[in-house]
Amino acid sequence: MEYKAPVEAYTGVVREVTIGKGKKSLKIGGENILPFHFFDQGSNPNPVKFALEVLDMEPQDWPEHLTQPFKDVLTDPVKWAKKCEELGADAVFLRLVSTDPAVKDSSADGAAVMAKKVAEAINIPLIIYGSGDDKKDAEVLPKVAEACDGMNLLIGPVQKENYEIVGRALLEHGHNASALSPLDINLLKELNVKLSKFFPSDRIVIDSLSSALGYGMEYSFSLMERVKQIGVITKDSMTMMPIIANLGAECWKTKQAKETKEQGLLWEGLTALSLLLAGANILVLRHPETLKLIKETIEAR
Amino acid sequence: MVIIGENIHVIAQAISTALRERDAKVIQDLAKAQAEAGAGYIDLNVGPMKKDPEETMQWLVNAVQEATDLPLSIDTLNPVAMEAGLKACKRKPLLNSASGKSLSKEQMLPLAQKYNCDVVISVMTDKGMPPDVESKVDSIMSTVDHANGLGIPNEDIWVDPILLPIGTAGEGQRFTVLNLEFIKILEDVLPGVKSTVGLSNTSNGVPDQLRPPLNRTYLVMLERNRLYSAIADPLDKELMNLTRGGMPEIVELIYKTMDGENIDLSSLSQKEIEYVKTAKVLMGETLYSDAWLES
Repeated sequence: MEYKAPVEAYTGVVREVTIGKGKKSLKIGGENILPFHFFDQGSNPNPVKFALEVLDMEPQDWPEHLTQPFKDVLTDPVKWAKKCEELGADAVFLRLVSTDPAVKDSSADGAAVMAKKVAEAINIPLIIYGSGDDKKDAEVLPKVAEACDGMNLLIGPVQKENYEIVGRALLEHGHNASALSPLDINLLKELNVKLSKFFPSDRIVIDSLSSALGYGMEYSFSLMERVKQIGVITKDSMTMMPIIANLGAECWKTKQAKETKEQGLLWEGLTALSLLLAGANILVLRHPETLKLIKETIEAR
Repeated sequence: MVIIGENIHVIAQAISTALRERDAKVIQDLAKAQAEAGAGYIDLNVGPMKKDPEETMQWLVNAVQEATDLPLSIDTLNPVAMEAGLKACKRKPLLNSASGKSLSKEQMLPLAQKYNCDVVISVMTDKGMPPDVESKVDSIMSTVDHANGLGIPNEDIWVDPILLPIGTAGEGQRFTVLNLEFIKILEDVLPGVKSTVGLSNTSNGVPDQLRPPLNRTYLVMLERNRLYSAIADPLDKELMNLTRGGMPEIVELIYKTMDGENIDLSSLSQKEIEYVKTAKVLMGETLYSDAWLES
């Protein structure tokens, strides 16, 4: 009997989200297959994208082998962002870490000015994250959204505690929302349901929390894989959004990544590769050499 | 469907105070209310009972028996309190509960034989909670075999599959589905045994106002698969109405959802839509979230 390879065809299609405008834009999502299942029926029109991370203040706890590639620009987020562009990033990920009440508690207005400067200075799309403190983000992110009015950025994290106030500001000023929930698919769906009541579902990106290798990565992997499967296979409208894997910060927090450069690059690289296989559509990295390593790996060079 | 009234529960502050102060009225009122609402048993959940287990249990059983003639379900992990309770019962009580754990086999199961009572036996073993239908069947068969050896007949055994909250670590739905399956095949693997579940456990952790729809829908689904009894809230009128044949259209709709029939939601009332959506999450057909009625 002749062997016929089984080919799956799924009905769910991940929504396509555009970040940025015109030439300064990119698309993520849009696939109707599982990650790298190119043998099945369907396609992924938008291959995975990579962002490099920029902080709005000089990093405090980065090892030298991580600061080295950016050593002349670390005090200037605008220059730092331009450097990321030169290094081949598809997007810049600006983290407004200084606004954290536990860091500098810097003002929302200051953060908004900075965000706009960075957005205008680069020729690639911008992703902006607040500090993650849900109360402070509820002040900072609306100001950032207003300052960058109409630029169609991806802004987050939008969380259970602040989705109404942040979501409405993003909507009013024409941005996409990155919805963050803590490693639980039921909570993830709930946030998407609630946000979708007033915010267009095709402008939501899922941040399911990306833990580092050795620090819970397997949980992140399983969850991301499940989100993708439930979206693509069972066509659950509330999980059919592209996924952002915000893993650089998690990896470079680890003792292992801080110890030596090789170890750091591998730590970030292996976490990135794993989450890519789980279904991430855009990955946020810190080290430009990891970016190079992963791109080479995917392109099988 | 036999409803074992769950409301006399030591976690409720009023009950805990009444027990401590020997205030019979609070407890008797609750027993009467449950009896009037149609409960078949009154569950007396007293927790571990560290202080005066014998005397307290005896007092409680007598107080409740003054208020109602219903048989009692003695619900404690403390074997001393358990024995005192069983001894004081006028009607054949329900020992709630034993399991396949060594300690339970040593301490609880012999009591069921000694007092010739009905006994709830859960699928738990020393290894913990069996993770799938097959291992649940294996462990309950082994424990029931042990109980038979002690002289407890299948007819006196009420098997409890242990329900887990639907929101458990993102995989509670797997358990709602496999427990439905387990209940469905139970009578075939252990002829003559009865079954029971701690119904409200399914909705544990869900916002309070959203718990009743889950409990009600799940009970209808389990009943269809031949569930014999449930520890549940008889004061939930809609729940009782559903199991007493008062809402045949809703039951029909839940069955259709279980059968995977295509249901046109646009022709249904808000309440009917909610039952369909709830049945779908309990079937594992749509991913659960606390916003399941809204999406």
